[in-house]
Amino acid sequence: MSPLSSIAAYSPNLMNQIERLPAKTDEVAIPSTIPSTTPADNNSFSSMLGKMVSEVNAQQVNANQQVNALQSGANVPLHQAVISMEEASVSFQLMVEVRNRLLESYQEIMRMQM
Amino acid sequence: MIQILTGIQNTAAALDAEHTRLDVISQNIANAHTTHDVDGKPYQRKVVVFETALQNAMNGDNSRGGLPAVQVAKIMSDNRPPMKVYDPGNPEADSHGMIAMPNVNIHEEMADMISASRTYEANLAVVKNARSMAMQTLAIGKH
Repeated sequence: MSPLSSIAAYSPNLMNQIERLPAKTDEVAIPSTIPSTTPADNNSFSSMLGKMVSEVNAQQVNANQQVNALQSGANVPLHQAVISMEEASVSFQLMVEVRNRLLESYQEIMRMQM
Repeated sequence: MIQILTGIQNTAAALDAEHTRLDVISQNIANAHTTHDVDGKPYQRKVVVFETALQNAMNGDNSRGGLPAVQVAKIMSDNRPPMKVYDPGNPEADSHGMIAMPNVNIHEEMADMISASRTYEANLAVVKNARSMAMQTLAIGKH
């Protein structure tokens, strides 16, 4: 018996555990924290990220509208337009930063030695 | 709405207020020789009055205890008497050759303008600082 075969024997077990993992967390999470009326994935990371992206988009759209209004002669003060542009830019940076950290941790996991 | 830049709403309100003040100063300078205002009298110098506004309280957000912001309360007239100037050639001069000129003092307006634009600049510095704070915070954990 090669030394690796023991790992091979181990791996199905591991895979089983991984497959069971989400089911388990669902069982725990639904009755305790999330009210039964809301779907379980309402609090998931992807929905949070999606919310963040849409918020950043809303700020970009807002900045765009302010600049358009300013250029078309509406009564929008210059600093208001610039500040909203600034806010949009900083929240975009925040989103990019979250994405970078996420990718970094993913790559860290992919580099992990088995 | 997420508050990504600290205190930016109050600073924006202050910029607005100072902007109005600069507008009024430019109006005073522009009308420094207006002897015929809309009411027929010489132009009266205008003064901006600021007041505190509870910005966060107005937005229904009391999480920060309602940070007071500034806003323009009203624009009032300066009630000092008009300056009498001897100008017999002016068609509006009275029988003694005197004419009532606006109570605008250009030097006073220039000093006010410097003060207003410096205050505007200070508020812009707050915006700049808030931005650099946010960017430094985003760089947490980087080497």
